[in-house]
Amino acid sequence: MDATLDLSRWREAPLGVMHRRWAIVSAGLRQLLRTRFFRIMLFLAWGAGLALAVSGFLFTQSIASGGWLESFVSDKGPRAQAVVSAFTAIVLVYPDIVIGGMFSILFWLHSYAGLMLSLIALSALVPSLVTRDRASNALSIYLSRPLTSFDYLLGKLGIIVGVLVLLWTGPLVASWLLSMAVAPDSDFLVHSIEPLGRALLFNAIGLVALAAVALGVSSISRSTKATIFLWIGVWPLTFAIAYFPTTPEWLSAASFHYDLNELRSAVFQIDQVAAEAAESLPLVDRGIINGLQHMADDVGATHVATTLAGLAVLVAISLFVLLRRLRPE
Amino acid sequence: MRDAIIETRGLTKLFGAQRALSEVTIDIPPGAIGLLGPNGAGKTTLIKCLLNFETPTAGTARVLGREIRPGERSSRERVGYSPEQDCHIPGMAGCEYVTYCGQLSGMPFRKARQRAHEILDLVGMGQERYRLVDTYSTGMKQRVKLAQALVHDPDLVFLDEPTNGLDPSGREHILRLIGSLRRDLGISVIVSSHLLHEIERICERVIIIGGGRVLEHDSIAALKERHRRVVELAPSGEPERFIAALAEAGVAVERLSNGRLRLESPTESAAWILTLLRDHRLPPAEIVANPNALHELFLKAVGGAQGATATRVTPPPPPGPGSEQASVAAGAVDNSSNDGRDA
Repeated sequence: MDATLDLSRWREAPLGVMHRRWAIVSAGLRQLLRTRFFRIMLFLAWGAGLALAVSGFLFTQSIASGGWLESFVSDKGPRAQAVVSAFTAIVLVYPDIVIGGMFSILFWLHSYAGLMLSLIALSALVPSLVTRDRASNALSIYLSRPLTSFDYLLGKLGIIVGVLVLLWTGPLVASWLLSMAVAPDSDFLVHSIEPLGRALLFNAIGLVALAAVALGVSSISRSTKATIFLWIGVWPLTFAIAYFPTTPEWLSAASFHYDLNELRSAVFQIDQVAAEAAESLPLVDRGIINGLQHMADDVGATHVATTLAGLAVLVAISLFVLLRRLRPE
Repeated sequence: MRDAIIETRGLTKLFGAQRALSEVTIDIPPGAIGLLGPNGAGKTTLIKCLLNFETPTAGTARVLGREIRPGERSSRERVGYSPEQDCHIPGMAGCEYVTYCGQLSGMPFRKARQRAHEILDLVGMGQERYRLVDTYSTGMKQRVKLAQALVHDPDLVFLDEPTNGLDPSGREHILRLIGSLRRDLGISVIVSSHLLHEIERICERVIIIGGGRVLEHDSIAALKERHRRVVELAPSGEPERFIAALAEAGVAVERLSNGRLRLESPTESAAWILTLLRDHRLPPAEIVANPNALHELFLKAVGGAQGATATRVTPPPPPGPGSEQASVAAGAVDNSSNDGRDA
């Protein structure tokens, strides 16, 4: 005796491959958003973004001509008014240095928060990228569909992009937009574009490096614990080793976190911002100038070529491992 | 063969020095097809090559008219696959998992969700569908695995050991469902299994693979026809008298552990047995023609394959009336195997 089948038919043409890739991305992000840990990360990331927006708002409102600072000192006597007028004049004369420099520093500081939160969130995400799919033979399910290994890979990459957008790029861009929305004139928009571009460039570099290493680490083992251990090994452990005083340069470059820190300095060029400010701005206090010059010395990138090579090698090794593992077992 | 769902030409797959598939040339028509073979025979490799999981070393294959090429997606648009081993996407509830599989096949979300619930009803999943798949029993995992293979309404579905881990009622349910897929929905099914009586029950055709080669490919009816001279008698009483009467007639009899008598008929027809029963005034007996044909054919094919060279199999024409198993003229006739000797 056979069963009687009572079900609808689906004879339509399947939706395109982009839809199928997006299904992987959205399912991965949905699963991640269900976890309390990731929701806490989101809260912290958008909190940092809000802090950035508030900083931008205070900055734009403080130094602009006709801003709240001018109003605030209007009844504080001529000395205070003169100081504020001098600051406002500096902004008018050197908008590129003051506005560009201030936003460079804000975005530079935010990149620490964004990168750190992304790394912590990836610690929870890494096992669910490829490891668990391999352990549960889910690769057979994916690849028996009209999907290739490349589509699967793009879907998983999309999840990492989604995480970084939610934790890093999103708060960054949103805070900038908010700052610009309340900025008193277009100078702020014009002169903050370049720092934003640099921040997004570093964001993109971070994305490529983190995505490759995370996917590579995730594909090495079928055990969640082993993957987390490996991730800790390639992130905090190598980072600690990289900053050990006697560590040779080539070994330091084996830490992608160290490499990203070096590249951050190269991309944001905070040393140049500080040097330019010390050189150009008519700051009467010699101590401020010395402080800016010290800052320029401290935050400058020293081994850009080595770190770039180190990062490229790490990405290449990760992709090699990943592509070797992407087949049903 | 016209309208073949699967066509392979010289399909060969080497893993280093090991030849997993050896010049397999076969045309498989639509229907329910059993894929048989001992462990390591090449069944899974064949399925993997047809699903494009493995790139063949040589030869070509077409599935549902679409050529299998590296990076080709469209050949799997209307194909479903339920692997032998456990496979699920961790952290998803049953209905979410099946819906997701539908989306991965290109279904819009709403349609995928609707079909997912219908299919889960069909495979006998109740409220468990809202639980995480990770917490399912083996039987439930088996059901949800079948559901994901069917959610996108495929034209062809590969089922690798689909009843593994199911209890008897679950096994019965799934076998009925698989049997109905072809009849009601026109879905072709390729079932890989070690349980020959299940294959015999739900499949129209069978492919026997051994040593990476196709050893047999024919309809079950035609295969049984080759063994129709084997007869089993189930006497209702006095088996000793039966043995004596058969011995007197010059027929060698083997007494089976289940009380049946196994013999080889000297003629195509079993009518002589009825005559024998009447002449010796023996009590009625159930006459089972051609029992365990598939089992024996399987053993014979696999045994005969030892040391044989590569075989090119061209399937015979569709079975005509002559190839169907004829009923034995009298007595209670049963074509199924009842002695419990599964492979």
